[in-house]
Amino acid sequence: MSAARERTRSGPRWYRHSLVLTLAIIVVLFAAGETLSPGFAAPGQVIYLLVTASLLGFVAAGQNLVILGGREGIDLSVGGMISLGALIAGNVMDASNAAILPALLATLAGTFALGAVNGLGVTFLRIPPLVMTLGMYGVIQGLLIVITRGVPSGRAAPMLSAFVNEPLVLGIPGILFAWAAFAAFVIWMLRSTAFGLRIYAIGANENAAALSGVAIRRTRVLLFALSGMCAGLTGFLVLGFSGNVFIGVGDQYMLPSIIAVVIGGTSLAGGIGGHHGTVAGAIVLVLLQSILTTLNIDPSGRAMIFGGTLLLLMFFYGRQQRLRV
Amino acid sequence: MTVLEAADVHKRFGGVVALAGANLELAAGEVHVLIGANGCGKSTLCKIITGSVFADRGTIRLDGRAMRFRTPSEAARAGVGVFYQELSLIPQLTVAENLFLRRPPRSRAGLVDRRRLRREASRALERFAGAIGDIGPDHLVADLSADQRQVVEILKVLVDEPRVILFDEPTAALDNRQVEVFFDLVDALRREGRSIIFISHRMDEVFRIGDRVTVFRNGESVATMHIADTDKDEVVEKMLGTRIEAVERRRDAPKAADVAMRAEAIGGTHFDDVSFDLRRGEILGLGGLHGQGQSSLLRALFGADNAFSGSVAVGGEVYRPRGPRDAIRAGVAYVSGDRGRDGVFPVRPVFENFVAALLTRRRRARLDRRALSAEVGAVGDRLKLRAASLDALISELSGGNQQKVVIGRWLVNEPRILLLDDPTKGIDLNTKSDLYRILDELCMEGVSVVFYSSEERELLANADRIAVFNGGRVVDLLEGERVSELNLYRAAFAAEGH
Amino acid sequence: MTGDGQSQARPRFEFRRNTWILAAGFLALLCAVNYFLQDNFFEPGVMVSNLTTFTPLILIAIGQTYVILASDIDLSVGAIVSLVNVVTVSIMHHLGGDALAVAAGIGAGVATGLAAGAANGLCVAALRFQPIITTFATGTVFAGLALWILPDAGTVQAPEPVWRTYSASFVGVPFVIWSLGVVALGCWLYSRSRPYLTLMAVGGNIRAAFGSGLPVMRTRIAGYVICGLFCSLGALALTGETATGDPLIGIAFTLSSISAVVLGGTALSGGVGGVLGSVLGAILLGLISNVIFFAGTPFEYQNLIQGVIVLVALAGGVFVSRGGAR
Repeated sequence: MSAARERTRSGPRWYRHSLVLTLAIIVVLFAAGETLSPGFAAPGQVIYLLVTASLLGFVAAGQNLVILGGREGIDLSVGGMISLGALIAGNVMDASNAAILPALLATLAGTFALGAVNGLGVTFLRIPPLVMTLGMYGVIQGLLIVITRGVPSGRAAPMLSAFVNEPLVLGIPGILFAWAAFAAFVIWMLRSTAFGLRIYAIGANENAAALSGVAIRRTRVLLFALSGMCAGLTGFLVLGFSGNVFIGVGDQYMLPSIIAVVIGGTSLAGGIGGHHGTVAGAIVLVLLQSILTTLNIDPSGRAMIFGGTLLLLMFFYGRQQRLRV
Repeated sequence: MTVLEAADVHKRFGGVVALAGANLELAAGEVHVLIGANGCGKSTLCKIITGSVFADRGTIRLDGRAMRFRTPSEAARAGVGVFYQELSLIPQLTVAENLFLRRPPRSRAGLVDRRRLRREASRALERFAGAIGDIGPDHLVADLSADQRQVVEILKVLVDEPRVILFDEPTAALDNRQVEVFFDLVDALRREGRSIIFISHRMDEVFRIGDRVTVFRNGESVATMHIADTDKDEVVEKMLGTRIEAVERRRDAPKAADVAMRAEAIGGTHFDDVSFDLRRGEILGLGGLHGQGQSSLLRALFGADNAFSGSVAVGGEVYRPRGPRDAIRAGVAYVSGDRGRDGVFPVRPVFENFVAALLTRRRRARLDRRALSAEVGAVGDRLKLRAASLDALISELSGGNQQKVVIGRWLVNEPRILLLDDPTKGIDLNTKSDLYRILDELCMEGVSVVFYSSEERELLANADRIAVFNGGRVVDLLEGERVSELNLYRAAFAAEGH
Repeated sequence: MTGDGQSQARPRFEFRRNTWILAAGFLALLCAVNYFLQDNFFEPGVMVSNLTTFTPLILIAIGQTYVILASDIDLSVGAIVSLVNVVTVSIMHHLGGDALAVAAGIGAGVATGLAAGAANGLCVAALRFQPIITTFATGTVFAGLALWILPDAGTVQAPEPVWRTYSASFVGVPFVIWSLGVVALGCWLYSRSRPYLTLMAVGGNIRAAFGSGLPVMRTRIAGYVICGLFCSLGALALTGETATGDPLIGIAFTLSSISAVVLGGTALSGGVGGVLGSVLGAILLGLISNVIFFAGTPFEYQNLIQGVIVLVALAGGVFVSRGGAR
């Protein structure tokens, strides 16, 4: 048992392997991109890619939590939440630097509340997450039209746009520092806080978690609320990224957010995985898309290659148990 | 004449050896009993014979020809039917649909003939008429009680008219009357020349129905005997590998008289009007046949099920947990023997499995991994836990070591009252003796234990007093000299028929 | 056990086996409201026109139902519909638009749907990939194929006989009604067959089904293939209605087909529910927007109200199906 007292630093073995695999894929993709199109891995280009990846990273963090919490956890409403977040933020700040903070708070509060509604439906009414969040997506779509009356309004404050798009230190924009800090926080939270362990516990065995005194429902509601909030935060940053809002701006993030999590080695069954993988997964996805764009492949080819790659990844990560032993 | 033969069958699941050289010969028209302790490989052998598990080595011969069924349906087509412990019924379908799931009667158009389906199902059900209440072919299986489901399961096997039938503990959930009907059925099947493999843990049933018996121990078949030429003692001896010695009690009853937990006339689902005083440093055993309300009582005391009626006091204060959290914070711990359902977080490291309940007790947001590891490591040492590291996945550990972690989860919490719900189910002897030693130590430290075990000997060796349950009520409280195997059996069976 | 004593004589009516009843009740209510708002609602012409509009979703939802009954899910139905649409229209167009070309187009479309369903089934059941992500991935591939075949909407039209037939009547009964009748008969026959019983068993408890010797893998694949078939039928109906090729035509059907299935009382956990409920669910979805429109709701509130009603109805559907799901 002396070995047991040693460090408890690294995660389970196979999980580390999949992480190494993902990092290897990132390097290979960058190399492939550079070979196919010199300048692909140039610093400015890399930073642009990372900024794109960071937007996906924020929303995928919330998705990551919901999926880890198990019971078929999944959040299909994040696309709507992002659009809503961008809309709230854009309207509250309306191009004024002074209103950035109130806009951020309003965005986070609004999407947290809607996310909590998802969680309440899932836990108390026992609606499957797929159905609940799908329904919520429809509601948010309606909400967007009510708010905008069909005409999107609101613009990003200059400071927010600069934060996302322009270099802050060493040629790196502020959003990348924010993403690094945010990801580090999520990783720390999952590994080193009681809340993190509770997430894994309810995902791995809800019954045993309940007997260990974990407040199952409260934890799960919080997960969905946090997922909403992460999506809202993404919307806030997307506003900075693109300067203004259109209604479907968030839709393109919904499925990639799930895929980033799965590529990162988190099991859709819950209880297995972490956040480093998701960060890497977001980068892989954005890289892949970017390479396909660089190669001048038309949208149809991109879609096919993208889907095919995903199937290949499923082969490595996504296989389910055999019925026979 | 030998119908079915298994020769030198081996099977490992990960690091666990399930079968290490099992042999079996089944003659035509005989009832062949397999017996052995839990986890000795009987069920695994059945699954290998019927194709739901693949053997690592060994051969299965049916009518002298080597067979390797790839699925249970292949086995069924070859005339081998099986009844599993794990139920194979579909709750959302009706009794009739379940009975004829594989081969529903078809009309000339090739569609399922629902009228004939119901008629044939009714006829099948008549074999148990009167013993299973008023269930018809159209009842949803989800609505049936455990014994009714078991009967349907038995009938489902017979629908295919198999020549060889494997019954894996078919009587576990049946009441006496149903068991009688079932044995008449087995007799009839034997007369028809069918061969039957019968797994049971009830010695009486073995001698009542069997022609021959094969004893399993640690994945090996150690002996095959004619029932007529043997007796219960010999069978038990073969199972254990040694003669049983009289149960020895290791510990004197505690002197302390103060009460750690007092229950007055408490009732809930499956138990009623239970009162007891649990003294400090005492092990109070819960005895009786399996499923007489002991587990329900423990779960209710831990706040895991619905609230109980009546009153309970812990340390003189009113104790009414609304959930496990309240119980944990009152210093109560609960160890379930059902590791898969209630215990382990299968895909998580040992460390997390250890600290799950501690987080509830301490209410601190941040984890100090280093301090916690030291604490957990100490408990692990005390339990003689064998794990590569605290980072190893708990699923990589042996069953016994997994259970040690689950027990350790509660020991790090330093409970005042420990509720044990058949905690040694399916674990090895070494782990058991480690657990007994720790129970002794805990009692010395003043912890009080309520201990339910499905093994009488375990209770007799450890409990200071034994409350014997029957039908959800305490029918006798054995104390001092009266704690004996004889009294335990008497009390457990006396109230039969209530 | 509340036995009725005569269970041997007559089949018991079991609510949990007929979870569509709630959807039917809701539909009756909605029809009444619709009639109140729209006087001519019950006139044959209006009814047929409504039904024609709902037919594609009805067909696609039927397909989705079989997959969900087996406790899988298909997120690629929208892409399959798009793909079948462009394949059919392109082939008809390139072969000249005569009767033979139309037949070839329809045949190719149905074959495409079947092949797509088989691909899904193989990935999910044979290779044991996780259904949600897998069908999303295959859906992306199908959508890419559709875009490759026909990059822009509206550039290729379906030949005249197609939409003429689709809106025609035979023996006084509209073509759409005939087709739905044939589909209903097919579904009814299937629901009485052995494979359907197996499908329900696999969805109810896959381990028990395997342990009972049922062909689990084949059954799950069959679910996806049938779904592919119904997607192609839905796509053909859509083609008959719009008379054009559009590589994005199917997108919305993925989510609305799942909504229709859940609304109809089929449990996502499998084994509970049926096609009838999904048909009612699909009609419900269509009528809800009808009612909201005719109620004179301000334009900008229509989507929100529809979203809320659908969410509440989904919750209701889940509630109903849970009784049998346990």
